[in-house]
Parts: sequence; structure tokens; C-alpha cells
Amino acid sequence: MSTGEAKPKLIRVEDLLQRTVYDVDHRAHIIVDPEKCARCPKKPCTYLCPASCYVLVDDRVVFSYEGCLECGTCRVICPMEAITWNFPVSGKGVQYRFA
Amino acid sequence: MALRVIVGIKWVPNTQAVRFDPKTGTLIREGVPSIVNPHDLDAVELALQLKERYGAKVTAISMAPPSAVKGLEHVIGMGVDDAILISDRVFAGSDTLATSYVIAQTLKRIGDFNLALFGQETIDSSTAHIPAQVAGWLELPYIYYVDRIEDLDLEQNVVTVRRILEDRLEWYKLKMPAILGVAMKSQKPRPVSIYNKLRVRMENPIKVWSNKELGLDPRCLGLKGSPTLVTKVTWTPEVPRKKQVIEGPPGEAVKKLVEKLCGEGVLPFEC
Amino acid sequence: METKFDVVVVGAGPAGASAAYTAARHGLKVLLVERGRGAGSKQVFGGRVYAAPLREIYEDFDKEAPIHRWVRKERVSLVHGDRMVTFEYESDRTVSFTTYLTQLTSWMVEKAVSAGAIFVDEVRVDSIVRDDAGKVIGVESGGERVYADIVVDAEGVNRLLLEKLGLAEKTRPSQVALGVKEVVKVGEDKINERFGVAPGEGVSWVLTGDVTGNMPGGAFIYTNKDTVSIGVVVYLESAVNMVKEPIHILVEKLRTHPSLSRLWADGDVMEYAARLTPESGYRYMPRKLATHGLMVAGDAAGLLLNTGYTFRGVDYAALSGYMAGNAAVKALEEGDTGEENLRRLYEKPLLESFIVRDLKRHRGIEWLMSNPEFFKKYPALATGVACRLFDLEGEAPTVYEALRSSASDQGLSLLRLVLDMFRVVRKL
Ligand SMILES: Cc1cc2nc3c(=O)[nH]c(=O)nc-3n(C[C@H](O)[C@H](O)[C@H](O)COP(=O)(O)OP(=O)(O)OC[C@H]3O[C@@H](n4cnc5c(N)ncnc54)[C@H](O)[C@@H]3O)c2cc1C
Ligand SMILES: Cc1cc2nc3c(=O)[nH]c(=O)nc-3n(C[C@H](O)[C@H](O)[C@H](O)COP(=O)(O)OP(=O)(O)OC[C@H]3O[C@@H](n4cnc5c(N)ncnc54)[C@H](O)[C@@H]3O)c2cc1C
Ligand code: SF4
Ligand code: SF4
Repeated sequence: MSTGEAKPKLIRVEDLLQRTVYDVDHRAHIIVDPEKCARCPKKPCTYLCPASCYVLVDDRVVFSYEGCLECGTCRVICPMEAITWNFPVSGKGVQYRFA
Repeated sequence: MALRVIVGIKWVPNTQAVRFDPKTGTLIREGVPSIVNPHDLDAVELALQLKERYGAKVTAISMAPPSAVKGLEHVIGMGVDDAILISDRVFAGSDTLATSYVIAQTLKRIGDFNLALFGQETIDSSTAHIPAQVAGWLELPYIYYVDRIEDLDLEQNVVTVRRILEDRLEWYKLKMPAILGVAMKSQKPRPVSIYNKLRVRMENPIKVWSNKELGLDPRCLGLKGSPTLVTKVTWTPEVPRKKQVIEGPPGEAVKKLVEKLCGEGVLPFEC
Repeated sequence: METKFDVVVVGAGPAGASAAYTAARHGLKVLLVERGRGAGSKQVFGGRVYAAPLREIYEDFDKEAPIHRWVRKERVSLVHGDRMVTFEYESDRTVSFTTYLTQLTSWMVEKAVSAGAIFVDEVRVDSIVRDDAGKVIGVESGGERVYADIVVDAEGVNRLLLEKLGLAEKTRPSQVALGVKEVVKVGEDKINERFGVAPGEGVSWVLTGDVTGNMPGGAFIYTNKDTVSIGVVVYLESAVNMVKEPIHILVEKLRTHPSLSRLWADGDVMEYAARLTPESGYRYMPRKLATHGLMVAGDAAGLLLNTGYTFRGVDYAALSGYMAGNAAVKALEEGDTGEENLRRLYEKPLLESFIVRDLKRHRGIEWLMSNPEFFKKYPALATGVACRLFDLEGEAPTVYEALRSSASDQGLSLLRLVLDMFRVVRKL
């Protein structure tokens, strides 16, 4: 059934995160120990973090907290206890409006 | 005499959240929340350090609509003692001249301050006019890009500040009262604390001043007092870029990048 | 300055706001602490709330609450590729409604404040404080303490405080699911037209099958006033092993799905959000819901029901907060905030309430949710049957023939199919 509309394109995660409002703190609320990541077999955070805060660069996991949606997934799935996880302070971080 | 410090706060839309609709050529502002201009938090932090070092009383002021109370609550939450919201319909439509006039008159009415700190600029207009113009109206000494208060001599009424420029540091002595523009990102603004937030709820530290309190000439306010004419708004043209991504380990990728740039003949040396 | 309250509530979600509202209405001195900026700014959910419990708690609910649309159509779809089998149920009662949780929560917090509670935002509680005898005496944030006779922990699914206190163990992947969501602006009239609903009426729609990349979980679509909320929920335990591409791609595939995307064609994505949710209740419940000076409510108490076709968390959270608020009033009247008394006043009625009875009755869903086979094979089977029955190009098969040949495509014997179906029906 063709309606003549252009097929919608997938939005890249960087652009999805642009739709969400943040007030990013200068303090990181999540800290990751890269040495543990190096020994982590499956690195599930690189797939399951909905904000792609964990990315593989040359086999190394690079973490950035700025786009974090504060869901809690990485805290739960990390098998190596590599993550020191907390919420941002001062009302900083993600600011949901329509969720 | 105790040290009295004023900090100027602007309540701005969170510009990160404003998107551009390429279809209509307009800004999508729906549901965009406002925040305290982030660079003003550097000024607040510097003021709070003065409170710790010299027991200063710190007052925040903001000329803004009533919703800016949330922003004043935030800085009181950080440790600012009290705040004045300067809010009146007659101020609407003010350009930087009219805004700075109202702020200057507010400072005059507060009277006994030693230092008035401002952010370097705002994220929604970035003129950096306000502190300079306030100093102009009040004929007070003014230094911007300040990142440190080195010394403060209440007997001599002199403050020594450091200014940070791209390539050097400078030191100035100013007679107080003085106006300071604080360099953006020069401080690490402290978080809100529960006691200070409770103070917001229990002690009503925010006063609202309308033009009744200030009694300013309406001809100098709002649209009438604003000589600036916005004749046209344009968009910066998009620069055509090749947007190539070079993949691979950094070492090899850099090599490829240099080769490409050599090929384009854009490097300032022979390849 | 006074830093002693009758009740301190941690977390201004539906549970915390309702606890604060209830306790404040009875004249208690209540402090409600929220880490987010303003009320509701950290809130994420799917899209539909059952109204009855909220009517019971908030007198002005029908007049004032931010209701987008009353759910008129319930849809459940099994999806395989671009094929889909959908059940639809229609009713015109005001049983459940769609909304943004950000708005609903703000409204609840407003009610709490107008009942006299003090609301403090932008403050993250770092720990719940106990005295040497183990009695909870208050909360701590940034090294500053606020004291209370009773603390209500309504911190939600990420139970940092309860874990620190030793009342809950560290969350395991088998206990929670990840929900990822987009809110797409469509326009009020277009929604009415494309979903076939009248103004003020909406659709609640759950989907399962390969919309979750065949991982256990499901997808949802809710119509709001002028937007739709769409999203995907995946159970983390299976997702960790099965996930093959970054999770945001699943939601993006849902948004661009060939059979669905025309419903929100040309819509602008206004927000992208994510949050964990307890895997359907019970397993996530702490050993006890109250200790000396402390009660636990909402998601933190593991009160969530996901049957695959309904998702109930907001109303359960609000109701448990309400019960905690009432229990606080009684306990302070009686002058006894000890563990035994709080468990009698709060935990016992809660465990006997319909919430926990629901959670127990639907426990079989756990089997289903941790059974990846089901999510892969049955949607494929159902769409296979439908395709054979309806997409006719030659001879029309009987239902039995369609079922048998579709089942054999999925490597299922008819016997196995009947047994599985029997198990599913019994467990739901
Ligand atoms: C024709 C015209 C009409 C305008 N109408 C409006 C209007 O209706 N509403 C509106 O909000 N803006 C309006 N503006 C913009 C407004 O005049 C400027 O934003 C404002 O004067 C501050 O300038 P700036 O943002 O560039 O601040 P800068 O000069 O870049 O700010 C430097 C510092 O000054 C301080 N400061 C700035 N503004 C304030 C304030 N309001 N209160 C306290 N401290 C402050 C802060 O510390 C800030 O970091 C208008 C501008 C024009 C030209
Ligand atoms: C994807 C998804 C879809 C869902 N769909 C539905 C649905 O359609 N219908 C439904 O009824 N339910 C749904 N739910 C469940 C529902 O969202 C929750 O059950 C409900 O929000 C729980 O309320 P709560 O008050 O217990 O916790 P939350 O709503 O999580 O509130 C907890 C609050 O505490 C704050 N907080 C946490 N820690 C601290 C701290 N240390 N200091 C200060 N503040 C703190 C948080 O910021 C937050 O505001 C869904 C959940 C998800 C994840
Ligand atoms: S799961 Fe944990 S250890 Fe593994 S890569 Fe991610 S953060 Fe590192
Ligand atoms: S909390 Fe969620 S969004 Fe934030 S880094 Fe972890 S997985 Fe990503």
C-alpha cells in the first residue's frame, strides 16, 4: 500500500539526543574504570545504553556522561563492577518534558 | 562594615533545547525550559567564595518575568543569601540599554554594595553589554574576564582581581564599589544544598520589585527606552563541507588525513 | 532553621507525591525531596494510567488531572516482519487515560504542596540515616541532615538508597526491563483521523514479536492529545545475551515500521527517553516494606504489573504512597513508629490489597517473559496463519491447514503448540 510518502529514515542517536533537553553538569555523575572494560568479554553497555554513552573506539570502551538518560541500565548489566553510578546533583542532567 | 556583593542573573531559554525547523525556517520553542544563564553561575560561585573568605552578604538580582523565581531559588540553593526579582510589564521589550539602566538603578537603590558581579555574557544574546553599561550608568570602575579575587582591602576599599585573557594574565586594583564581569567557565559552581533549599521555602528570601519600588521614568524603559532596531535576522550560510570520515587506528588515520590535506594543497608547508 | 519533620518523603514520583499529599492533608509536617528540577522532570513511563486508584486518593482528580485522552480502544498485536495480527477491544468507559507522566506527577506534587507539604527540588538524597539502634531518623544530602519521625522511600526503580541501607540487594538484570521511548508530534486532528477515534478518546496498543528484535519484552503505542508515545521494553537478562544492535535502533525501527509509520507520518520526534522498570512485580519486592521509622512505596517496593497487555505502575505507586501516608498518620497518632507497628499499618494492608493479589495472580508472566522462544515463534506463527488464510493467491486453506503449515515453518509440532498455549492461558 503506497501512499506516496517518502519512506521515513532512521534518526541517528546523536540526533535523537538533540530532541531531549539537558542541563549538563561539569561534574560527571557516572565514572567508569576503563581497565575493567578492557577485560570485559561482551561489553553489553555498548549495545544497551540507550544514549550510546559507551562507544568502542579501537576496541577500547570510551564513556561520556553528557547524553545520559539516567535510566540505570549500565549499573545493572555491568558484569565487572566497573561503574560508579549515581544521579546528577543540583537538578542537573536530563530534563524530561513529554515523557 | 560588612562586605556586600550583588550578582546579576539572567533567566534564559535553555538554548540547547531550541531546534531549528528546516521546513518552516523557524525555531521550535515548544516546551523549552528556562535556566539560569550558565555563565552567571560562575559569578555566583565567585561571590560565594567571597562569602566564605570575608563573610560577605550576597544578593542576587534579576530583571525578568515572574517565572525567573525558579532561577533565583536555584542560586539561593547554592548559598546566595537573598534575591530581588525586578519584574514589571513596563520592562518588557527592553534592549541592553534599557535593561542596564534598570539594573543600574536597582543597584543604586540597594545602595551599600561593594562589588557587583556579572556573567561574561548570556547564552541567548551574548552581547556582554550589561555589566559594561551598568558601570557606565553608575560611573564605576569595571573589569571583565575576571577569574580570581586576589585580595580585598575593606579599609582602603580596594579590590585586587586577576583577569584571564587568551595569552596572558593581568592584575588590577580597583576602587570599590566596582563592577566585575566574571570569565565564563572559570569557576566550578557548587551544587545546591538541602539546607539552602529549605531556607527558600521557609524564610521567603526573594523580594519582588516592580517599577513602583524603583520609580523610573517609563520613557527610559521597555520598548520606549530601547533605541535598538532589529532590522533583519539572517542565518549564517551553511559552509559546504566534504564531511569525510577516515576510519582506522588513530596513527594510520592521521597519516591518511595528512596525505589528503597535502593533496588538497591546504597545508602551509611542502609535503 | 527547623530541620525536623514528621515525615520526610524521598522522591516525588507518583508514590512519593501521593504519600506527601496524604500525610499533609492530615496535618502532618511533611517534606518532599526530589532530585530533579521542578516536579516531574525525571519521570518516564509508557503512556496509560488506570484512573480508579487516583480517584480514590485525589478528590479533584476528574476535574483537574492532566488527562490527554480516555482509552477507548485496546489493541494487542503480534508482529512478524511487516505482517501483523491484531486484536482490538473497544469500550467507552473512563477506566484508563493517556498522559505524560511528567505532567501527571507535577499535578500530584502541586496537590501535595497545596495540602501543606514542603517541596524541595534539585536535591539528591545521598543516604537514609539510622541511629545506633537501627531506627531510621532522617536523610542526608551533601553532608547535611534533615530529621524525621518517619521516612518514606519512594526513590523508584534504581534503589540506591535501599541498597545502601541493606534493605535491598543490588538490582540484577533478571529483575528489570529497559524501556526506550519516543514522543512524536502528530497533531490532534490527524490522530483522531488516523487512529479512528473521537476527540478526547485514545488508543492503547501493545505489540510483541520481532518489534523487540525477538527479545522478550514488547512495544507500545499510546495516543496523547497531539502526540503519540511509542517505545520498546526489553527484559535485561535476555537482552544482555541477545542484543545485536544498539538499542535505540529498535525504537527507530518501530517508528519507521512499514505497517505503522503512516500513523504518525511527517511527525516530529519531540523527545527521546529511557528508564528501567521492575520486571513484573513480586520478584523485585524487598524482604520487608517497612522497618523502624521507614516505609517503602512504589517501584522501589517492586509494585509493578506487566501482563503483556497492560502495564500498571503509576496507579499502584500512587496507591501504595497513599497507604504509606495514611499509615504515617496512624503511627504518629499511636506514638509508635517501630517496625512491627509500621508493618501492621502499612505492609499488611498492602499485601492484602488488590495490588499484591494481582501481582501474585499474574506471576506466570515471569515464565513467559523469560522465554525467548515465545517472543520469536508465536508472532511468526500467528502472522503465518493469517497470511495463509487471507493473502490468497490460490486455493483457500482451512484454518487447521494454515495452522499446521505455519507451525511447521517455525519448527513447532501441533502438540507442542497446544501445550504452550495451554500454559500461557493458565499463567495469564
Ligand atoms: C529590541 C530588543 C528587544 C528586546 N526585548 C526583550 C524582551 O522583551 N525580553 C527579554 O528578556 N529580552 C529582550 N531583549 C534582549 C535583552 O535586551 C538582552 O538580552 C538583555 O539586555 C541582556 O543582554 P545580553 O543577554 O546580551 O546579556 P549580556 O550583556 O551578554 O549579559 C552579561 C551579564 O549581565 C547580566 N545580566 C544580563 N541580563 C540580565 C538581567 N535581565 N537581569 C540581571 N542580570 C542580567 C548577567 O550576569 C549576564 O551574564 C531585547 C533586545 C532587543 C535588542
Ligand atoms: C518504559 C516504561 C513504561 C511504563 N509504562 C507504564 C504505563 O503505561 N502505565 C503505568 O501505570 N506505569 C507504567 N510504567 C511504570 C511506572 O512508570 C512506574 O511504576 C511509576 O512511575 C513508579 O512511580 P514511583 O513514584 O514509585 O517512582 P518514580 O516515578 O521512578 O519516581 C521516583 C522519583 O524519585 C526521585 N529520586 C530517586 N532517587 C532520589 C534521591 N536519592 N533523592 C531525591 N530524589 C530521588 C526520582 O527523580 C523520581 O522523581 C512504565 C515504566 C517504564 C519504565
Ligand atoms: S559492561 Fe561494564 S566492564 Fe563491560 S565494557 Fe561496559 S562498563 Fe566496561
Ligand atoms: S544510566 Fe542509562 S543512559 Fe545513562 S549511561 Fe547508563 S545506560 Fe546509558
